[in-house]
Amino acid sequence: MLVQLLVTGLALGSMYGLVALGYHITWATSRTMNFSQGHAVMVGAVIAWALVVALGWPLSVGVLVTLVALAGFGILVERVAVRPFFRAASPAWLLSTIACGIIAENVAQLLFGKDARAFPSALTQRPILVGGAGFYPQEVLVPVVGLALMALVQVLYHRSPYGRQLKAVAWNAEAAGLMGIHIERAVMAAYALSAVLAGIAGVLLAPLLNVAPTMGTIIGLKAFAVAIIGGLGSAPGIVIAGLGYGVLEAFVAGYVSTGAREIVGFALVIAVLVARPLGLLGEPPARRL
Amino acid sequence: MGRIGWALVAAAALALPALTANTYYLYLACSIGLLTIVTAGLNVLAGFTGQISLGHAGFYALGAYAAGLAATRLAAPRWVAAVAAVLLAALVGAAVASAALRVSGPYLAMVTIAFGIIVEHVLVEWVSVTGGPGGIFNIPKLSVVGSYWLIAAVAAVALWLTANLRSSAWGRAMLAVKSSEVAAESLGVSAYVVRITAFTISAALAGLAGALFTFLNGYISPDSFTLQTSIVFLLALLFGGLGSLAGPLAGAAALTVLPELLTGLTDYRLILYGALLLISIYWLPAGVVGAIVGRGRPRAAAAESAAESIAAVEPAAPGPDAPSASEPAALLGVERIGVSFGGVVALNDVTLSVPPRHIVAVIGPNGAGKTTLLNLITGYYRPDSGAVRLGGEAITGLPPYAIARRGVARTFQTAQPFDALTVVENVMVGVAGARLSGLTGALLGLPGTRRRESELRLRAQTWLRMLGLAARAEEPAASLPAGLRRSLEIARALATRPRLLLLDEPAAGLSPTEIETLDRRLTALRQQDGPAIVMVEHHMELVMAISDRISVLDYGRVIATGSPAAVRENPAVIEAYLGVPA
Amino acid sequence: MRRSVHTLLLILAALAVPAVMVSAQSKEPVKIGLTAAVSGGSAASGEAIKRGLEIAIEEINAKGGVLSGRPLRLVVRDDEGQPAKGVTIARELVEREKVTAVFGGLHTPVALAQVAVWQELKTPYMGAWAAGTNITRNGQTPNYVFRVSANDDDADKFLTRYATDVLRKGKPGLLLENTSWGQSNEAGLTKWLGAKGIKAVGIEKFNWGDPDMSPQLLRLKGAGADHVVLVANAPEGAQVVKSRAKIGWEIPMVSHWGISGGRFAELTGDLSDGVAFLQTYSFFGKQNERGEYVLKMLKEKYGVKGPEDVIAPVGTANAYDGLHLMAMAIDQAGAAEGAKVRDALENLSTEYKGLIKTYRKPFTTEQHDALNDADYIMVVWKAGKIVPLAAK
Repeated sequence: MLVQLLVTGLALGSMYGLVALGYHITWATSRTMNFSQGHAVMVGAVIAWALVVALGWPLSVGVLVTLVALAGFGILVERVAVRPFFRAASPAWLLSTIACGIIAENVAQLLFGKDARAFPSALTQRPILVGGAGFYPQEVLVPVVGLALMALVQVLYHRSPYGRQLKAVAWNAEAAGLMGIHIERAVMAAYALSAVLAGIAGVLLAPLLNVAPTMGTIIGLKAFAVAIIGGLGSAPGIVIAGLGYGVLEAFVAGYVSTGAREIVGFALVIAVLVARPLGLLGEPPARRL
Repeated sequence: MGRIGWALVAAAALALPALTANTYYLYLACSIGLLTIVTAGLNVLAGFTGQISLGHAGFYALGAYAAGLAATRLAAPRWVAAVAAVLLAALVGAAVASAALRVSGPYLAMVTIAFGIIVEHVLVEWVSVTGGPGGIFNIPKLSVVGSYWLIAAVAAVALWLTANLRSSAWGRAMLAVKSSEVAAESLGVSAYVVRITAFTISAALAGLAGALFTFLNGYISPDSFTLQTSIVFLLALLFGGLGSLAGPLAGAAALTVLPELLTGLTDYRLILYGALLLISIYWLPAGVVGAIVGRGRPRAAAAESAAESIAAVEPAAPGPDAPSASEPAALLGVERIGVSFGGVVALNDVTLSVPPRHIVAVIGPNGAGKTTLLNLITGYYRPDSGAVRLGGEAITGLPPYAIARRGVARTFQTAQPFDALTVVENVMVGVAGARLSGLTGALLGLPGTRRRESELRLRAQTWLRMLGLAARAEEPAASLPAGLRRSLEIARALATRPRLLLLDEPAAGLSPTEIETLDRRLTALRQQDGPAIVMVEHHMELVMAISDRISVLDYGRVIATGSPAAVRENPAVIEAYLGVPA
Repeated sequence: MRRSVHTLLLILAALAVPAVMVSAQSKEPVKIGLTAAVSGGSAASGEAIKRGLEIAIEEINAKGGVLSGRPLRLVVRDDEGQPAKGVTIARELVEREKVTAVFGGLHTPVALAQVAVWQELKTPYMGAWAAGTNITRNGQTPNYVFRVSANDDDADKFLTRYATDVLRKGKPGLLLENTSWGQSNEAGLTKWLGAKGIKAVGIEKFNWGDPDMSPQLLRLKGAGADHVVLVANAPEGAQVVKSRAKIGWEIPMVSHWGISGGRFAELTGDLSDGVAFLQTYSFFGKQNERGEYVLKMLKEKYGVKGPEDVIAPVGTANAYDGLHLMAMAIDQAGAAEGAKVRDALENLSTEYKGLIKTYRKPFTTEQHDALNDADYIMVVWKAGKIVPLAAK
């Protein structure tokens, strides 16, 4: 039972972590977020389903086109819901991205249909049983791809010169502008990348979760919790928090009760933030006076 | 919105039951009322203090269930059930706030979301008390018309309370904390206490609305209190206009009526709803009320009040409390203080002594640690070593507002007036300082509170006259040019009647004429028995003209201290400034 | 602000206009309301009910409508599964749209919250899905709430009987969705198991959208369950079946009707084989006359390819039969008036050969559920198709 719960928890946790990175990327660049990041996951799964399952495209082509479409979706969200309010002191971006999520979900419902559909995958046909614990190969694929992408994001954002520029935008847009960094382009790129990550998560999760217009809501919310616990500014913090949260959920559900799962999980979120107001690995910004 | 607007709304509300017996319209009006009550509370939190909550459905639920259980299990009368609802929500609100308000921004949003979700799941799981997912039914309910009158009355009271609050010392403190937490604390206002108060008020109102929801429907279940509900609360407030007094009503009406207009469209309904939200956020960044009222200002009231202030009775000349005989020679003693940030030493073994009524200038090249020194004295930074004493008392490590309450006021390198307040209100925050007086009085607008208000205003106007700002008293602080923002900040700091005033580059960005005025004012202040002053400044002419003593900082160390003449001749100073050995 | 008051008045005026226009028409249609979730996570249920109603209404209107020539017209409202929204909609349908009767959707809390409104506004309500026992058994007289759907109490009696008498199993593990539907069944199953002297070895719950049910299954397995009683809708039911395969637990599963949608097979592949469940009606296999007609209409109007493509058959079937019964009651009442139609429903004089069964006096003063455990059948998934099990 322990091993099974651990496997289940890690698969779940890497899912949360992957989606949570999307919050991190736009936050690190623009101090804004797509609050409907979970809906981007859904859009990825739905587009991939339409191309691969409904239209019968080859998987590789379908996924590629999906990710390009998701980049477009991210840019659209940025243009429509974020840029007009960028650096406005108001939380308008929070509401406008929620509005985008409402629209996305209901457009998907109109075009895709209201019931959940299957996304068949060779990796979810038969579980592999190892020493009493079982898992679907797809469940291993999620953390593998997830961790690889997290590493890539970390390198891209924190080690490459371009990434440093993006971070500079967040610290001080004015100064970054003087340094010749194209701020609007940097923020747009962050939103595109963030949506692509969500899209990858969507494609990876589709065979495990079924495809439905409402599939992203809960994942989006828990990923947000994970991003916050880990520290919005810290990719490693988010990865650790994601895995930890997934394992915690599985263990509470397995050893206590499913009913206690959300209560314990979210109480822990509050406890962590009371102890560490900027998340586990969040760095406090220098207090500017 | 003006008196006529409110009167029209009140007339419409009174006439509605006579105009229609259609319970659908009355029920919609009830929904608007409930949403108004919640958003009026949320407006205190988000509109006044600038904190976003996405968990108020949790308080709404606590109120609804407290009332439902009191009415069914205890067969309590309605008013008892309502009081229980308010108390429970307020109590939990205060507890949540004391944890939640350690964090801010999206972190705060997450704590409130988590709270809401926990409440929802406890309602689902605690079957023996809450009835589980099926909820509680057959709660004695009011008729729709009866509910309408009750809800309309409570909504009116809620709006009235928030209006009173806005024009009280508490309301100004809240807006001050929203505009600049740092500056508010420098006047003795504890941002934490102010925020907890705002959070508790908003939780109590949400709880009250929850109780009314129970009386209206006679049935409650967890489905009515989800994250979705919290989002609608916040949307209504932003839709109506954050911080505006009529905003909650306008937003509640819009967000209740809008979905009803779209109701026949079923499949396209929510798409249109989302699109309308998006468009309205574009078009109405200040909400519906902001879009309507926001034009046609500024009003003529400025001139009017200036005249009034001249006619006003002159209060006792402002000045510090009389120094007592036992006061030690040094008012401020900075003793061998040191601090480093991330391994970089910012200040090392710095000692500074300021006698009462003296003006001490701290000069030095950029990056020498001058502002860091002020931040250490006022409690924004904690020293790694050494101590700060004020009138003999150690104040090292105290929070900024506690140090401010002991008689230390300051200005900032970048002036930080409270942009959400008018010029005179800015100074009124300083006059009141930590003494916000009774919250009940503020909410109910009691005569005592009103009397104190006019007193605060008179005093504030005296300071404004002294700093040459009387004519602009009623203008929004945000509209002042840079030079006047600095003057306002000095007026605000002086209004706290400090023993010690710290000025961070008061002459930066001022024209030569303005600097001359500043020189005159500081000199006058000293002659009038004013506070001791520590001034960080680059403008050497000003420094030499008014300082009693000068300390020179370089690379975090004091390299010279003495009279202006002595410092001018000091070879170390010349080297630090000119880069050549003298 | 004056302008905003103006706007508000305009909006209120706009709200009032449709109500005025309707009363001006001649050969006035008789309006039937639907309050169900047609958006969000359970949108498919609302869609299925809507289809059943639309097919029946079209059929009736083609034959001249009700009350000698008045057509029926459907007014659909989205209650989003929220009780407060449901109450608003209930009042709107009756007070503004002037509907004669209303059909209801999947959510038990919404149905419970609306009961008081139907009673107050004297409007008959026909439940087409939500199976919460106390929706119809609500203690009101005269009771305006009727139902053509399962009643959890009866369903649980039926499921318990199957598990103990047919499967001969005595250690049930209950796996329920964490909603009022799950709660209603927890009560029903506990009651009927208790009547046979059995206690569930474990009761586990899951939330909508939960991705993995293996922790719950492991707990039931650990508790020594020899069969699992499942109360779930298709998406979550599919996750249960997948998780069961993952932990390698071969165990008989007996399920409430939530997994009857054709999509369940699509979502699970051959993992669904052998899962037995309760059904009021199935579009698989040989159909009666009405069954063939409804399936034909589903194909024509909604592009349904076959029985495996019918998303939530219980909703469609219940709503279809319910609407026919309601139309008969309106004709029998001789007027589109709520109180008269209610009385007629309790005293239907004509027999109705329906889709699910033949209804003879389906409702009485005491009995407001048209279907009971005698009308249920036990079926099983086999290679993506629903196959009836031997009766009883």
